[in-house]
Amino acid sequence: MSNVEEFPAAARKPTEYDALVSAAPTALDAIPGAVYICDRDGWLVRYNTEAAELWGQSPALGKARYCGSHRLFQLDGTPLAHADCPMADAVRNGTAMRNAEVILEKPDGSRITALVNIRALKGHHGEVQGAINCFQDISAHKALEQEAARKSQELEDFFENSAIGLHIVSGEGIIQRANKAELELLGYSADEYVGRHIAEFHADAPVIGDILHRLSCGEKLDRYQARLRAKDGSIKHVLITSNSRVEDGKFLNTRCFTTDMTELHRAENARRESEERLAATYEAATVGIAEADREGRLVRVNDAICKMLGRSREQLLKMSFLDYTHERDRAEDQALYQRQVRGELDSYVIRKQAVKPDGSVVFLDVYSSSVRDEDGGFNYGVRVIQDVTEAKRMEDRIRESERHMRDLLEAMPAAVYTTDAAGRITFFNRAAVEMSGRVPQDGDSWCVTWRLYEPDGTPLPHDKCPMAVALKEGRAVRGKEAIAERPDGTRVSFIPYPTPLHDADGRLLGAINMLVDITERKQFEEQQKVLIDELNHRVKNTLATVQSLAAQTARHAESLDDFGGRFESRLVALARAHDLLTKRHWSGALLKTLAREVLGPVTGGADDRMKIDGPDVNLNPRIALSLTMALNELVTNAVKYGALASQGGRLSLVWQLRHEAGRVLLGLEWREQGGATVKAPARRGFGTMLMQRCIERDLRGEFDLAFDPAGVRCHMAIPLDAPAEA
Amino acid sequence: MTAFAGLKVLVVEDEGSIALLIESMLEDLGCEIVVSAGHLTEAREAAAMAGLNLAVLDVNIDGQPVFPIADILRHRRIPFIFSTGYGEQGLPASLKGHLVLSKPFTLADLKRTISAALDPSHNPGPSQV
Repeated sequence: MSNVEEFPAAARKPTEYDALVSAAPTALDAIPGAVYICDRDGWLVRYNTEAAELWGQSPALGKARYCGSHRLFQLDGTPLAHADCPMADAVRNGTAMRNAEVILEKPDGSRITALVNIRALKGHHGEVQGAINCFQDISAHKALEQEAARKSQELEDFFENSAIGLHIVSGEGIIQRANKAELELLGYSADEYVGRHIAEFHADAPVIGDILHRLSCGEKLDRYQARLRAKDGSIKHVLITSNSRVEDGKFLNTRCFTTDMTELHRAENARRESEERLAATYEAATVGIAEADREGRLVRVNDAICKMLGRSREQLLKMSFLDYTHERDRAEDQALYQRQVRGELDSYVIRKQAVKPDGSVVFLDVYSSSVRDEDGGFNYGVRVIQDVTEAKRMEDRIRESERHMRDLLEAMPAAVYTTDAAGRITFFNRAAVEMSGRVPQDGDSWCVTWRLYEPDGTPLPHDKCPMAVALKEGRAVRGKEAIAERPDGTRVSFIPYPTPLHDADGRLLGAINMLVDITERKQFEEQQKVLIDELNHRVKNTLATVQSLAAQTARHAESLDDFGGRFESRLVALARAHDLLTKRHWSGALLKTLAREVLGPVTGGADDRMKIDGPDVNLNPRIALSLTMALNELVTNAVKYGALASQGGRLSLVWQLRHEAGRVLLGLEWREQGGATVKAPARRGFGTMLMQRCIERDLRGEFDLAFDPAGVRCHMAIPLDAPAEA
Repeated sequence: MTAFAGLKVLVVEDEGSIALLIESMLEDLGCEIVVSAGHLTEAREAAAMAGLNLAVLDVNIDGQPVFPIADILRHRRIPFIFSTGYGEQGLPASLKGHLVLSKPFTLADLKRTISAALDPSHNPGPSQV
């Protein structure tokens, strides 16, 4: 600073710097705003009161350089040295600075933001003489600005991070912005989405056309359904809520909220499909399905039940299921349904008869259940109905056939009973009761009999009996015999015929047994044995007799011819006696018959030459046999040598019964007459000996043979009922 | 033939013709027929008689079993044989195994059986009744 230079210049027009420096301090204070001036070296030469206030201090002139503030910062908070501040640039380079912002810190630490305007002050020759700095406190304004920026940031964040898809579309339909949720929903990046026309992403052109038209008219959209195409090609069902921003009557853009309904839509579709399927099933079912209200009125019926009942759907929907129920079953079905409605029954099953409009009756099996609400209250009844008329008819037939079988079994003359697979008796007929002598008790197993024995008499436990074997081994048992004992002690021999019963799949159902009483057969077999023994004895005895006849005849025969004739005759007589006895089962023979049999053939039927007479006498086999042999000897002799040897000879056999000393004596008289003169034989022949033996020895009778010249006479007396030998 | 010369024999047989045969067979063997009985009463008397060496007994005499006679003979230690059409099974248990001639029989059968009957080992005593 030089007063010398200043002085001569006074004559000229003063420079801005000069003027400002020379102005009275009050002149600077009059300026609205803080002002200070630095000389060309940057030293502070002038400042006003407001500058001192903003600085929070009053620095000495010429001591502070570039700025009078305590400290300086840039807006971002970094410290700014006074030598680097805009004022320093202005002084050094003569530059100006307009509306720079800088932060001033006062000595007390408080800060303000200052808006700074600086201009270099130049001399007449353009040289920099200093600079002026006008600054003002813009802290309040700055705070407002920051608040606005923060709010905007929050809105941005809200827009960007909202859970709901958001986008903004310009008046031309171009997507201006889209948030993360929207981009994620559709799978695009911002570049692929923003800047494109919104119609490109709609699946239905008419829909977006309508949306844009409505929005351009200022209409709001509320949950408008649309379908968007995602990047992966899938379709997203969305609801669009949108309104337009119109400024000064001009359509600017629309803000759209996009709510993804795809999942909901899918669930809805699934539900609808399921419902449709159910409805189809309902209709296609071959069983009848009906829904009924609390009173039983039908509220829904399918085709099958209409067909079953011969009524149209319209008719049925005006009826209660009780209306077509046969009166016989109505009360029961009603009572059950009421209990079900009240919740006393979950469900019930009933077989009932229903009457068709033509009066015919069908049998129905009804499965009734309820649909209830969450609290268990009755909603409606579901009735699944099956027409079992045919099955019922079959059952009836089977039952009838079973009854028929039972009747048959009951009527059978053999004991018949059945058991289940475990051997428990399930059926027995009357014959079984008669045979076992008792009524089988509940729980009896294996056999209806009281006690069982093997044929040899050893006890046979019921669980080892043939029926038990048949059941346990699953096979029919044959060829066994057993003995049943009745409670009264009597016994019955029987043959069991146990046969297991199987169902169509081969499972054992039980068994049937028939007990055939063989007591009579056993007795018969016993008799048979006795008879055969007796027959054997008789045959042997007879053979011994024949042996004796042969031997004795031979011993006395004159020639072989003589032997032949005599032996034959004796054999035939023996056979004849056997025949007679056999005719009456060896119970005896009538004397008259016997005499005719023995004598008749010899006389050749000449009855006038033979007299046979006497009362009816039944002879026991022993007497009959002996008498036959004796008469045969007599008649043979008569034919050979006696009355019958010549024409005109006759013979008679007469007999009578005599009671003598408590005995009955049969007296027989044999008399020959009219034959040649009889000569007594030289020696006693076998014939005579045989007769004597038969009558005297065997029958203890009398035998008296006389060879009277006029004819042979023979007297025989035979005791008929000899007292039994002790 | 005199194999058993002088052997005194009782014949019990209810059928005369068979008795005839047995008697003649026995006689052929040299035996002496002491009694030929057709009834049990005669047989009983004869069985008690002295001087018997042998008896031939028909098992069934007019419907009655001959065994009481067999008992008498056994007590008297007189050997006897049965002649029967029933065979051995017609005998009661106490006489099982006794000598039996099954009708009809031959002379040789009779001779062999008599020999056996006279053999002391075939002639059980009364203690075994």
